Amino acid sequence: MPRFFSNKRLILLLVGVIVLVALISFTLKDRQNATLPEQIVKDVVGFGQSLFSKPAHFLTGTLDKIDGILNTYEENKHLKARLKEYASTQAELADLRADNEKLRQIIGKEESLRDYSPIHATVISRNPDQWEEKIIIDKGEVEGVKLNMAVMTSSGLIGKVVLVTPFRSTVELLSTENRNFRVAVVIPGKESIFGLIEGYDRTRGELIMKRIDSDFDVKEGQLVQSSGLGGIFPKGLVIGEVTEVSTDDFGLTKLAYIRPAADFGMLDHVMVAKRSSVIVSGTDGEVAEEEEGEDGS
Amino acid sequence: MIRFIIPLIAVVLFFLEPVFSLFSPVTIADSQYTLVPRFVIVYLIFIAVYYSRQRAIIYGIVLGLLYDMYHIDIIGVYTFLYPVICYLATLMIRQVHRHIFTVMFLSLIMIALLEILSYFFASLIALTAIGFEEFLVSRLSPTMIANSIFVSMFGYFFKQLIDKRGLEKTGL
Repeated sequence: MPRFFSNKRLILLLVGVIVLVALISFTLKDRQNATLPEQIVKDVVGFGQSLFSKPAHFLTGTLDKIDGILNTYEENKHLKARLKEYASTQAELADLRADNEKLRQIIGKEESLRDYSPIHATVISRNPDQWEEKIIIDKGEVEGVKLNMAVMTSSGLIGKVVLVTPFRSTVELLSTENRNFRVAVVIPGKESIFGLIEGYDRTRGELIMKRIDSDFDVKEGQLVQSSGLGGIFPKGLVIGEVTEVSTDDFGLTKLAYIRPAADFGMLDHVMVAKRSSVIVSGTDGEVAEEEEGEDGS
Repeated sequence: MIRFIIPLIAVVLFFLEPVFSLFSPVTIADSQYTLVPRFVIVYLIFIAVYYSRQRAIIYGIVLGLLYDMYHIDIIGVYTFLYPVICYLATLMIRQVHRHIFTVMFLSLIMIALLEILSYFFASLIALTAIGFEEFLVSRLSPTMIANSIFVSMFGYFFKQLIDKRGLEKTGL
C-alpha cells in the first residue's frame, strides 16, 4: 500500500482546500458584479475566445448556407404562397403604426414600453459545463450593455444580461433552471391574458407560463409576448406558442406550456434590447415588492 | 520549440471547449441531450501520465482558475477539480501498464469522475435540480460518447507530441 501523502503535502492540500472553499463561498455570494481582477480576466480571455469563435461561426454559417441552397426550391414555393398575404399585412401594419403615432401625439405620450434600441452582438462562447445556461457575447459596458437588458434573436426573446464587464457580457438564457428568472408575459387578443414565465421543462424543451387567471380561456397555438410590465424587458418581444394548458398544483390558476420561438441551441448573432423607458432593477415579478419595501423604509 | 507547443495546445483546447458547447444541447427524438466537451482534462491527464505530474497539476490550477473566472463565476470549483483529477490519474496509472489504450480508457474514466463530481457540486449549491438517473441518461452518457470520439481521434497525437518533449528534455 503506497502512502498517498507525505506530511508536507497533506498540509499543503489542506491549506489549498480551505482557501478554495473560502473563495467559493466568497464568489458565490455576489455573482451579479465582477470584481476588478475578474473583469480583467473576463475581458482578456474573452478577447482570445473571439479569435476562436468567429472562424467557427463562419464555418457553421457556410454550412448553413449550403444547406439553405439545397432546400431553395421547396422553400421558394412555400414563400411565394405566403407573399401575397405578407404584402397586405405589411400595408396594414404601416397604417396602424402611423395611426398609433398620431394618437400618441394627441395624448402627449411619447415613451412607449415597446420602444428599444438594439445593440448587435456575436455569441463567443457558451458555458461548457452546462449546469447553467449562460452564453457570453462580445459587447459590454463600453457599447452600452447594462445589467438586466433583454437579449433576443430575430425569432424571439432568449434571455437577459446577468453580468457586464467593459467589453464582454454574460447572458442567462430563458431555458435556465434558475427559479428567480421570471418574465412578465401576455397573450394578446381581445382580452389580454397576463402571466409569468417561471421555469423550463427540460424533458419537453418548453417554457412554463404560470399564474394565468383561471377565468381566461387559453387556447393552444396562441402567441405569447413579453408584456413589458415587469419593468425589465421591452413590450412585444415574441417568446413562443402555447402547446398545452393545464391547471397548476393548487388548482387556483392555469399553467401553460410554451414552445419557445427562438432556438437556444445554435446561437450566433443576438440583439441586446436597450429599453427606452425607465428600467427598474431586479427580476420581473419581484420588483414591485422590493420597491414597496424601499419606500416603506 | 515543442517546449512552447505543449502549453499552447492546452490553451487552444481551453478556447475550443466553449465553441463546441455551442452545438449542445442536441435534441434527438424530442428529448434533449447535453454534451459537455472535456478536452482540457484529457490533455492534462496525458501530460500527467507521459510527461510530468507536477506540470499537469500546475497547468490544471491555472486553466481551472481561468475556467472558473470566465465561465462559472464561482472561483474554486475547477481550480480544485482539475489538479485532483490529474493526481488521481497518476496514482491509478501506476497500477497498470502504460499502454496508449489503457491511458485513453483511464482518461474516459476520469471524465466520468469529473462529471459526477461537478454534478454533486452543482446540486449542492442548487444550480441544477435534475435527479441522478436523469443526469446519467441525458448528460453523462452523451458526454462520454462525444469525448470518447475526441480521445480516440487525438489520444495518439497527444502521446506522440508529449513523448517528443520528453525525449528533447532527456537529450539536453
